[in-house]
Amino acid sequence: MAMVEISNVSQTFGSGETAVQALKPTSLAVEAGELAALLGPSGSGKSTLLLAISMIQPPATGRIVIGGERLYDDGHTGVDVRAFRRRKIGFVFQQHNLIPFLTARENVALMLQLNGVGRRAAARRAGELLEYLEIAHRADALPARLSGGEQQRVAIGRALANDPVLVLADEPTSALDTERGMKSMALLRRIARERGSAVITVTHDHRMIDGFDTVYHLDDGRLARVERAPRVALPRIPG
Amino acid sequence: MELALKDIRRHLGRFLATMAGVAMLLAIVLVMNGIYRGNIEDGVWLIENTATDLWVVEGGRGGPFNEPSRLPQDSYRSVAATPGVGQASPLVVYTAQRALREGDPRSQQFTVVGYDVHTGLGRPGRLVQGRTIEAPHWEIVADRKLGLRIGELTTLGNDRYRVVGLTQGAVDASGNPLVYLSLPDAQKVQFEQDPHAIVGSRAANLQRLERIGVRGAQAAALLPLLADSGGTINAVLVRLHPSSDGGRVAQHVRDWLHYDVYTTAQERTLMLEGRLSRMSSVLGLFRALLVLVSIVIIGLVVYVLTIEKIRSIATLKLIGAPNHLIVRLILTQSLLLTLGAFAVAYALREGIAPGFPRTLAFTQLETGVTFVVMLVGGVLASLLAIWHALRTPAQLALGG
Repeated sequence: MAMVEISNVSQTFGSGETAVQALKPTSLAVEAGELAALLGPSGSGKSTLLLAISMIQPPATGRIVIGGERLYDDGHTGVDVRAFRRRKIGFVFQQHNLIPFLTARENVALMLQLNGVGRRAAARRAGELLEYLEIAHRADALPARLSGGEQQRVAIGRALANDPVLVLADEPTSALDTERGMKSMALLRRIARERGSAVITVTHDHRMIDGFDTVYHLDDGRLARVERAPRVALPRIPG
Repeated sequence: MELALKDIRRHLGRFLATMAGVAMLLAIVLVMNGIYRGNIEDGVWLIENTATDLWVVEGGRGGPFNEPSRLPQDSYRSVAATPGVGQASPLVVYTAQRALREGDPRSQQFTVVGYDVHTGLGRPGRLVQGRTIEAPHWEIVADRKLGLRIGELTTLGNDRYRVVGLTQGAVDASGNPLVYLSLPDAQKVQFEQDPHAIVGSRAANLQRLERIGVRGAQAAALLPLLADSGGTINAVLVRLHPSSDGGRVAQHVRDWLHYDVYTTAQERTLMLEGRLSRMSSVLGLFRALLVLVSIVIIGLVVYVLTIEKIRSIATLKLIGAPNHLIVRLILTQSLLLTLGAFAVAYALREGIAPGFPRTLAFTQLETGVTFVVMLVGGVLASLLAIWHALRTPAQLALGG
């Protein structure tokens, strides 16, 4: 069974004559450990689909099942979506969106504490995650003191803190140069493989296409084609 | 994790500077409360600290504080003869601007209270050092604000007076310190003329007499009668017999002596509704405006503090943080700002009050009400900010 199942999900903004269908009925499935990309030009519907999958902006129609839990079924929400996001989904943002007044460790620990982990245990677990992401030496730095690449690793740490079944990444490489973008993709791939999370990334960065297991090409609000690439070996992350 | 405290710790300097700014504004509000209440307390101080049952003043006048009242010197004898009156005593009250300290040419404004030292009616209240006036002449009791010391000699007019007592907080309705003299001394200081003025006055009176045909020795004999004797008082203070009815005594004085009579409560009302009312209205209006401005500024500060964090709040919502975490973040900062600013403002007020040039009177009720109004203002501003934060779409966190 796929980790993420999206069936006939569509999105319409406005109503009556001014209604605009931003996303035509779209279906896709992403397996555990799979790295998928939603690719397309601006206005193609990829961000709309991301918002729908995460239930930040629930779709107009369709069905969404994540990790076996039915989040949405034609207008009906099955679970407390905010709590579900907190427990099961990790987010990586284009601008990293770290909380500026928390240190790297605190940003990661926050996610754990939101899930009921005690303060000390959260700090310890955050430290382990930062070590896993090779950024432990910057654990006590504020986001403003971190480079773009370091910020993104901390953001990924936060996304992984709740051990999510799904990681959603919004343009994770667009703010990075090619080298750091490649490293970032390698990291996401490693996460997908090692932790068994499904990773869905919105991108229009064609430089990174080869790194994905599956690329969903969206155009004008519909799924134009699906490209299942052979699993290309990504560059090793430098130690 | 207490996000509010983490945020404050990271931006401590800015938070403290904001708190200091709000505190200074609140301190002005608290001081304005003190000025407002002090204005009223000063205004009625002399009325409430003169141990008398009735104030007898010139007929048709709202004296002796709101309007000049002049009574003949011996009018108190007629009042004393009224049935029910236990004691009647003359009083003069007037404002003066003189240099009081020897060797210090700077003049000070003060109000002179002249009373009959034998009956003691109208004697100084709030005596903190020394004694009241016992001798019929050359003794003075002054308020500490004037800077005089016990035993010091001070010159008023052509005479020197020894300071025998000091009061604290004894002021007239304008906040000027009081000086107590015996009645004849007070009248002398009030009416004593400059020698040149006496010569001029005599010449004018002589001309008037000559115009009607009175000349020579006859005119010279009449001159003293035309000179201003200064034998007037401003009010008669009355102590009633324990068993007498104040209303009936007052009516008797009105009917038979044609003077006006006020009880202490009526004098107080006259002062509050007359001389003090306009200033109280102005101060009250300023006070209300300051409170309003303070609430608006606290509201704006709280709102701006929230808006600055709106992207972080959107991120928190997106990663699944519950609403109560966001509410606590905003509310905690708002309360810390308001409570901290109020505490600093209170400390500033306590520091300012002793050296303030006018009486500052604080009541726990007014301070408490101001605190509650500010707190409610801060909470309302927080609610507005919370409403804005909770309406912020989580997708604001996405995109560049």
